[in-house]
Amino acid sequence: MTEQEAITNEESEELRIGAFICECGINIAGAVDCYAVADYISTLPNVVTSVVNKYTCSDAGQAEIKNAIKDMNLNRVLVASCTPKTHEPIFRACVEEAGLNQYLFEFVNIREHCSWIHMWEKEDATRKAKELVRMGVARAALLEPLQSSEVPVTDAALVIGAGVTGMQAAMDIADMEHKVYLVEQGPSIGGKMAQLDKTFPTNDCSICILGPKMVEVARNENIEIMSYSDIVEVDGYVGNFKVKVKHKPRYLNIDECTGCGLCTEVCPVEVPYTEFNEGIGTRKAIYTPFPQAVPLRALVDKSICIDCGACIKACERGAIDMDQKETFSELDVGVIVVAAGYDVYDPEPNNEFGFGLYDNVITTMEFERLINASGPTMGKVVRPSDVKPPKRIGFVQCVGSRDKNSNIYCSSFCCMASLKNAQLLKEKYPDTEVYIMYMDMRTPFRMYEEFYNRARDMGVRFIRGRPAEVTENEDHNIIARIEDTLTNEIVNLELDLMVLSVGAVAPESTETVRQILKVSKAADGFMMEAHPKLKPVDTTLDGIFIGGMTQGPKDIPYSISQGSACAARATKFLAQGKAMTEGITAKVDDDICVGCGVCVPMCPFQALSIEDDKLKILTALCKGCGTCMAACPTGALDQSHFKNEQLLAQVKNVFAYGEV
Amino acid sequence: MAEEGWEPKIVAFCCNWCSYGGADTAGMGRFQQPASTRVIRVMCSGRIDPLHVYNAFLEGADAVLVTGCHIGDCHYVNGNEKTEVKYKFLEEMLQQLGLEPDRLHLNWISASEGERFANFINEVTAKVKELGPSPLKPAGVK
Amino acid sequence: MVNVGDMLVGYATDEDVRKRGASGGLVTAVLAAALEKGLVENVVVMKHINEFEAVPIITDDVDEVLASTGSLHSVPVNLAKYAMGRKVAMPAKPCDAQAVIEQAKRDMIDLDNTYIVGLNCGGSMHPVTTKKMLVAMYDIDPEDVVGEDIEKGKLIFKTKNGEEKAIAIDELEEAGYGRRESCRFCTLKIPVNADLACGNWGVIGDLAGSATFCQVMNDKGVKLLENAIDAGRIKVEPASDKAIAIRAKVNDVMVNLGSTLEEKIFPEIPDEERIQFYMEQMADCIDCGACKEVCPVCACGEDSKCTMFHSLVDNYKMSMYHMIRLLHLTDSCIACGQCSDVCPSDIPITLLQSRFAIPAQRRREYTPGMNVDDVPPFFEVILK
Repeated sequence: MTEQEAITNEESEELRIGAFICECGINIAGAVDCYAVADYISTLPNVVTSVVNKYTCSDAGQAEIKNAIKDMNLNRVLVASCTPKTHEPIFRACVEEAGLNQYLFEFVNIREHCSWIHMWEKEDATRKAKELVRMGVARAALLEPLQSSEVPVTDAALVIGAGVTGMQAAMDIADMEHKVYLVEQGPSIGGKMAQLDKTFPTNDCSICILGPKMVEVARNENIEIMSYSDIVEVDGYVGNFKVKVKHKPRYLNIDECTGCGLCTEVCPVEVPYTEFNEGIGTRKAIYTPFPQAVPLRALVDKSICIDCGACIKACERGAIDMDQKETFSELDVGVIVVAAGYDVYDPEPNNEFGFGLYDNVITTMEFERLINASGPTMGKVVRPSDVKPPKRIGFVQCVGSRDKNSNIYCSSFCCMASLKNAQLLKEKYPDTEVYIMYMDMRTPFRMYEEFYNRARDMGVRFIRGRPAEVTENEDHNIIARIEDTLTNEIVNLELDLMVLSVGAVAPESTETVRQILKVSKAADGFMMEAHPKLKPVDTTLDGIFIGGMTQGPKDIPYSISQGSACAARATKFLAQGKAMTEGITAKVDDDICVGCGVCVPMCPFQALSIEDDKLKILTALCKGCGTCMAACPTGALDQSHFKNEQLLAQVKNVFAYGEV
Repeated sequence: MAEEGWEPKIVAFCCNWCSYGGADTAGMGRFQQPASTRVIRVMCSGRIDPLHVYNAFLEGADAVLVTGCHIGDCHYVNGNEKTEVKYKFLEEMLQQLGLEPDRLHLNWISASEGERFANFINEVTAKVKELGPSPLKPAGVK
Repeated sequence: MVNVGDMLVGYATDEDVRKRGASGGLVTAVLAAALEKGLVENVVVMKHINEFEAVPIITDDVDEVLASTGSLHSVPVNLAKYAMGRKVAMPAKPCDAQAVIEQAKRDMIDLDNTYIVGLNCGGSMHPVTTKKMLVAMYDIDPEDVVGEDIEKGKLIFKTKNGEEKAIAIDELEEAGYGRRESCRFCTLKIPVNADLACGNWGVIGDLAGSATFCQVMNDKGVKLLENAIDAGRIKVEPASDKAIAIRAKVNDVMVNLGSTLEEKIFPEIPDEERIQFYMEQMADCIDCGACKEVCPVCACGEDSKCTMFHSLVDNYKMSMYHMIRLLHLTDSCIACGQCSDVCPSDIPITLLQSRFAIPAQRRREYTPGMNVDDVPPFFEVILK
């Protein structure tokens, strides 16, 4: 307790309330007889002074308050004027300056809630103002001093996910001279962007712009990359997170391996499980994820390894260790950024548009690998059935998006992706017929509409409709039956290759992370931000931020922006070294609490738990919403500044016996 | 029935972020309302305990309003969803008790919906005026 | 080998217990074995005072357990709170089991340490009312009663001189005697929420009167029976299909009776008369708090949101204390009747609570006290 609090507490044994009724020029005085109000209030118990100001918020008005506190030993101050949502902080600061705890200040709204809405009923407005201030006096008498508190912040950040968003966040935090642990579940950083061929709207080669970024991340002294690792446990709260990370075994010593590739050459086992190439082509049992991988190290797929030992013999560094076990690390971090990406929507379970039934129906991600110069076909777009170049290619939009049968949200990047792919096809193979079957074309940002026009100018044909029926003929060509809703015609489109423009879904691995962190899930299955406008990358959990696809489907520029946004929000805590917590929090009376625990699930901020048959409140996490108290059957749980007795006192003082 | 010139007393619980702001916006827009309502501010509508509502009636309220943010907009994630759960119990109980249903209302009003707030107050006041003083009002209370 | 779902018929191997038991003494034997073999540290049983009265005791003495055998219909106490804080086995009417589970939902009872031997129940009676009834309806001196039973809808009393008199329960209740009101409209007669569901319904043929029907409801029930079998205290055999069918039929009859009586006990009150009705009902309350004390579902301590309004001098037209209790129990009241039993002002509190609780629970398709994993609707985070 500070000296000031001690003084305040002592004095509060005898309540001395000062009431300041503001005229606000004629804003209030025009409808409310402020002098009559002040007179009435002065008759109430414990009110030591009750005066009228012209403008209480002015320097003069504030000076009057401060002087009154000092001269009359006031221990509660009430101002009746406008809405607390504008000036409450000003008055709170004012009373603090005069030595009174800011929570001993009561604000009554007699302008927006009274004079302005009863402009021509002076009698009613004045009577109502008297009652409102009377309610405020009753509450003021019960107010208690409160303090917000500080928790220290560990100077390190955890970034979960090393795709383009995670990498951006990590670099920004690291560049501000803070330590970053970058944990990636796959064997290489880079994420889905590494799999793409070119990126809209500039048609830059994806890995060409991503690769140097990946190297930069690897070289940054402040970033510690933990690849092929999973988050297992997270405990604690803002500033003090304890994270357990599992490092999956690659079956080789990552410090000895140079990624030379000799082991891969001699490995006799070859399988079509090419994760990076979306199942096209083959890989070996020991392999590097892709040529530009960071870290450029191999890993062993034990499920197909036949233990022939050829790689062990071939490795000049003796790096291979078939007995390697998984290991664990315990990290102490102050903030967490989740940038764990997405999964491509899988149309196979329902064989949507023939995917999984017909060879020549593929997804956009498979297409990216085909057209990519370092992909399994060296950049030649060929059709799966006969490995011949297709002459007629159709893209179907909104697969797994905007669909009541799968996901109702728009995945936001697929229109642009198909426009880009269509342009690339027209550039590479000018004689190809390219169709885009769409419902709407969504091209919102800079250069996007122009990008769409360019595709049209290049001769890409747009059919506004979705295939109602997809079949295959004896040549394995795809026949799509579509209603062109703009020409009102049914079209039977024969295609050599059909590409499904699939949307994004929240990955299952991310769901595990979400549950560990206890971040809320949004209706679309991705993680939820605290507020779409006011806090777009924060979560409701202090110190945990989400960005990129984790916060919902979006394209690369938007993802990178969010990566930087997360870094900025996270670094605020790291730079200040401390986190402030709310002064208005839940409090429990241990004598009355029976430990029934019904309050615990009420808290959206994980601030409550039962320990030793009593409620334990993590004040650092409590945001002061008060929803737990409504559930508490005993009333042991109460909210500072909005206690039951304070609210009931206000209720009681709405009513009077006799004239006011 | 009410005596001539009787005006209802309505207690409205408003959440700091949305409905209190809505009431402010009504004021800023000068949407005139009858002087029936007394607003009690809470941080979140989820703070509103049915016992506060009962107490309001037993102290003399002719109507009680429970207001907060629209579902999905709660500043504290889902406080208003918890309000809804409790409100259903409150509503059922007061109906069983025999209190006229028009004396208790739940309304989600955002900070920008000033006119909506004013209309709400106007409507409820008119309805309650017709119903007369609450049967639970103690003797002697105005 | 006993399995969950088994329908068995059994009895105590101890002849004396079997004879003194209401129908075979199986429940007593199971409780005794649980204590003997250390499955639990204590057992809750009823200690007889006379033919009409008994008190619940918590004992670690096997002999006291064996002495308690026999069933009494005039002991309406709820046993749930005796299970708190101990490793205990207890007999339980369906409402006792409901209350135990509700307390478990509020972390007051550890179900892993509480073995519940459920008893079928057609209803219990007040000892005082029963004594009056014996004089008025049976013309029997209460001192002369040596045994009582309920069979085929008739309440039978046996006297010292070997006589038996039976009167239909309907008749008794028409005259204002018979079962407690809360028992009349109760429709949970077989304790399917307990670990074992025992009773004499479905015990037919040779074994009638000297064996107990026992349905194994869960793993703890298996443990209880196997424990008693190992201890040599009980003998069980599978129940015949006929027996199972008869038991189900008796249950149907009792449940229907309950539903029919519910309509009689809760006459519709026209909307415009309700508030007056409730104000009158609560008017006699003296704020003694006894109803809260005995409520077996209430987990609060002495101080609670309801008792907060006890000491205020107010001129409220309705009791805040009761309004809060009505609210807090809307989803959890099991209509056990304890509150009505203890009210010094004779306010029919159970009926009041039920007028709110029954429609609210039905509307939400929620029955309190059946499964510890069911969250009481008042504590849901989102409206279902």
